[in-house]
Amino acid sequence: MTKHYDTIIIGAGHNGLVAAAYLAKQGKKVLVLERRAIVGGSVVTESFGDGFAVDSVFTGGSLRPDIVKDLKLPLPEVKEKPAFISLQPDGNHIALDAESIKRISEKDAARFPEFVRFMDKAASILDTAYATIMPRLPMNFGIKEGYGLLELGLELKLAGRKDMLNFIRALPMTAQELVEEYFESEIVKAAICAVAIHGSTLGPMGAGTGYTLIHNWMNRGGLAHKNVGKAGEITTALANAVKAFGGEIRTEAEVASIKIESQIAKGVILANGEEISANQIFSSADPKHTLLKLVGAQDLPPEFVWHTQSIKMRGSVAKIHLQTNGNHGIPAGTAVLAPSIKYLEKAYDATKYGEISEKPYLEVTTSGNTVSIHFQFAPYNLKHGNWNVEREKVENLAINTLAEFFPNLKSSIVNRKSITPLDLEETYGLTEGDINHGQLMLDQFLFMRPIPGWSNHKTPIDNLYLCGSGVHGGGGVSGAAGRNAAKALK
Amino acid sequence: MLNLNLKTTPFHERTSALCQPQNWRKWAGYFAAGSYEHTLDREYWAIRNAAALIDVSPLIKYVIKGRDAAALLHRVTTRNIHKMSVGQVFYTGWCDEEGKMIDDGTVTRFDETTFRLTAAEPNLRWLMMNAVGMDVEISEVTDDVAALSFQGPNTRKVLNKVTEKPVDELKYFRLMTNKINGVEVTISRTGYTGDLGYEIWMDAKDALPVWDKLMEVGGDYGISPVGILAMDMARVEAGLFMLDVDYTSASHAWIESQKSSPFELGLDWTVALDKPGYFVGRRALEKEKREGSAWKMVGLAVDWVGMEKLFGKVGLPPQIPGSAVRASLPVMVGNVQVGYASTSTWSPLLKTYIALAHLQKPYYEIGTDVRMEITVEHHRQYAPAKVVKLPFYEPEWKKR
Repeated sequence: MTKHYDTIIIGAGHNGLVAAAYLAKQGKKVLVLERRAIVGGSVVTESFGDGFAVDSVFTGGSLRPDIVKDLKLPLPEVKEKPAFISLQPDGNHIALDAESIKRISEKDAARFPEFVRFMDKAASILDTAYATIMPRLPMNFGIKEGYGLLELGLELKLAGRKDMLNFIRALPMTAQELVEEYFESEIVKAAICAVAIHGSTLGPMGAGTGYTLIHNWMNRGGLAHKNVGKAGEITTALANAVKAFGGEIRTEAEVASIKIESQIAKGVILANGEEISANQIFSSADPKHTLLKLVGAQDLPPEFVWHTQSIKMRGSVAKIHLQTNGNHGIPAGTAVLAPSIKYLEKAYDATKYGEISEKPYLEVTTSGNTVSIHFQFAPYNLKHGNWNVEREKVENLAINTLAEFFPNLKSSIVNRKSITPLDLEETYGLTEGDINHGQLMLDQFLFMRPIPGWSNHKTPIDNLYLCGSGVHGGGGVSGAAGRNAAKALK
Repeated sequence: MLNLNLKTTPFHERTSALCQPQNWRKWAGYFAAGSYEHTLDREYWAIRNAAALIDVSPLIKYVIKGRDAAALLHRVTTRNIHKMSVGQVFYTGWCDEEGKMIDDGTVTRFDETTFRLTAAEPNLRWLMMNAVGMDVEISEVTDDVAALSFQGPNTRKVLNKVTEKPVDELKYFRLMTNKINGVEVTISRTGYTGDLGYEIWMDAKDALPVWDKLMEVGGDYGISPVGILAMDMARVEAGLFMLDVDYTSASHAWIESQKSSPFELGLDWTVALDKPGYFVGRRALEKEKREGSAWKMVGLAVDWVGMEKLFGKVGLPPQIPGSAVRASLPVMVGNVQVGYASTSTWSPLLKTYIALAHLQKPYYEIGTDVRMEITVEHHRQYAPAKVVKLPFYEPEWKKR
C-alpha cells in the first residue's frame, strides 16, 4: 500500500516551501519532494569547499514580511542599507546615494530622492499586484475572479493618481527612457539600468525594462542586494516551518512524472519508480518542465500545449563564485560594471546571436572571503560550442574583466565554482537556465503568466496546481507565488 | 511566383474531355467537374441504379506514420483508434477543446503504425499542434494520391471484372490492396452517397490507366462519369453533411453559435466517450452528453400536398430545384423560427423534397411538424414539413 497525502509539493524551492508551509499550517498532510540533496532550489546557500559557501543562484533577498509573520519564521527584518556601487576605471567607484552622486552631478543628486520615492511606491504597487491572484482573462472576468482586481484597483487609487499613472506608464517603457526622465549622468543612468536588466534577457533599450526595474527594485528593496550570503537561511527557516506544522520533506526524491487519470492528477511517480498518491499536486518547478515533462503534452489540450511551448525562457545568466584569501579588494555592497547604457545594450546584443558578451555586464557581491560574480549575457542556446567548453571562457572573461578594476583579485583566488545556464537547468531544474521560470516580460505578466487564461494556479489537469516563480507573483524571492497558490486551493 | 491557379487532378485529361457544360467547381484548390452533362438526371441515376465514377482526388489526405501514429489519431479524433484493426476505415469528426467540430473525414489503418486521414480542409497545423512530444511523421499526400469514388449497385460487378483479386469479401468500411490494369491500388468500401460503393486510391501518376479500364469495362453496366452536383443530391438522401455547407469549422467560425458539436450533427455513434485517455474536447463532450444538446441535425420531408396548395394559390404547379440547394432556409413552428435547413434537394428516387435541417431542442424530435421556407413566385412562403429520421434513403445492399 503506497502512502497517501493531501498535497504533494514538487520542489523544495522557496515557493514550494511557502505553499507547503501554508497548507501544512491549515492541517493538511503535506509532502515536499526535492530532487537535490538539499532544500532551497534557487534560494540556497551552498558550500563548494571548506569556507567556500555562497548564495549560488539568487543573492540574498527576503520573503514578504506578511509571509514571515504568518509562518512565524525566525527571519529578522533587514535593517542594513548596503551600498550600490558603479565601478569606475580610475578606482573612484561611485556609490548611488544622494551624497556620492554630487561628485558627478549636483542635478542628479537633487533628483535622486524623488526617484527613490517613486520607485519605492511603484515597487509597493507591484508587490500588491503580485499578492493578488489574477482572474483568467478574457473568459472569466466575473465577480468571482475579478474581485481581487477590484481590491488591487482600490490599492492603486490609494497610491495617488499621479503615482498610479506614472507606475502604469513606467511598465512598458525602456529602462533608458525611465532613467533619462530623472538623470543626466551616464554613470547614474547606466547603474540603474543594470538593475533593470538583471536576470532578464533584455537590454536597457528594450520595451518593458521599466517593469523589470520595478520588479528587481521590489525584490531587493532598492538598488543593492541585502542579506548577501544568507539566501539559504530563508529556505532553511521555511523547511523548518513546514516540518513544525507537521509536513514532510524528502530530498533526493526526483519526480519523474505526474500520474494522471481522466485529466485528474492522482499522484506522482519518482525517478526510482516509487508511486505516491495525493489529493492535490502542487508543482513549484517551472511551467514548461511541469507541463511538458512531468505531465506531458499528450494529456493536455493542443492550444494549451502551444501556449506552454511558447513561454519564453531564454536564460542568459552565469554565476562565477570565487573563494579568495580575503585580499580581493572589492568593496562591500553590490558593485556593477555598467559604464554606459550602450555598454549594457551591446552586452545584451550578443545573446541575439547566441554569443557570450565579450564585454559583459557584471554584478559583484562579497561575503567575507567569497566573491560572487553575476555574468550577463551568457545565453543558454549557444550558436557555437557548448557549455561544457564555454564554461572556462566565461570564468576567465568574468575574472579578467573584474581584475582590471581590482588588480589583487587574481592572486587572491584560492578556489572557483562557476554555474553556467546549462548547470542552472541540470542542477537547479531551471528550464533553459531561466532563473525566473519564464522571462519577466509584459506578455508574460499579470493574467498572462504563466499563459493566458490560466493565471489562477490551476491547469487543465484537475488537482494540479502551479506554485513556482513561473506563475503570477513569481520571479524573485518574495514567496508570493507559493502563497497565492495555497490560497487558490480554497 | 505565387501560383494562384486552381490545380487539376490526375484525371483531368479524361474529365475535361467529357465535361460538356464546363461547369467546373472549386474544391480544395482543384478544378472539380460539376457535372458531365447539361442536366443531372443521368448522373444521379447512375449513382442509384448503375455505377458512378466520381473524381474525388481533391480530398485532402495525410499519411500519419510512426510509433505514436495511433496515439495521435486517438487524441485528435473522437473515435477509439486503439480498437481499430489493420485494414479498417473509420469515419470520424474531430473537435477543438470546447467539443466543437473542426472537420470530418476518414481514418484508414494500413498497418500498426501507418494511417491515412482524409479531411475537407487543411489540418496540418492542427495535427502538428497535437503531435507535440510524439514519435510521429505527418505528411500531406493530397497531390500524390489520386482517388476515385465508384458508387452504385453495379460497382461490385464492374470491379470484379477489372481487379486482380475479387472484391466480394471486402466488407463495409474495410480496405484491401489490389491491382487494376496493372496498377497497384487500394480499394476501400466507402463513399459519400449512401449506396453500395468503393473508393479507389492510387499513385497520381498511375491514375489514367485505372480510369480507362473502369470506363471500358463499366460500359456494359451503365457506368457514367459523375460530377459533384449529382453526388450532392445523393449525399443529402444519405443524410451526410458537408463542411462549410451544413456546418462551420470551429477553427474559422466568427461567433460561438456558428459552431457545432458532433452530437448536434448526429455523430453520437462516433464519439467514444468510453475510450481511455485524453482526447481533444473530451470534457466538453462529456458535459454535452450529460446535459443534452441544444441543437440537432435532422431530416425534413416537405409535405407535397401542402406545397402544392401554396403554388396553387398563384396558379402554378409546385416548382422544384434541379439540384441540391446550398442555402439556409428558415424553419418555423407557428410564427417562431426554431432552426434552419442548410441543404435541400429534390429526391428523384423518393419523389420528395427533402432537407438537412438544424433544429433547436425540443423541435428536433422525430415526427415534429414544422414549416420550411420556400419561394413561391418571388414570395416567401412556408411549406409544411415533418422531422424524419436520417438517412432518408438506405438501400439494403449498402452494407451487404
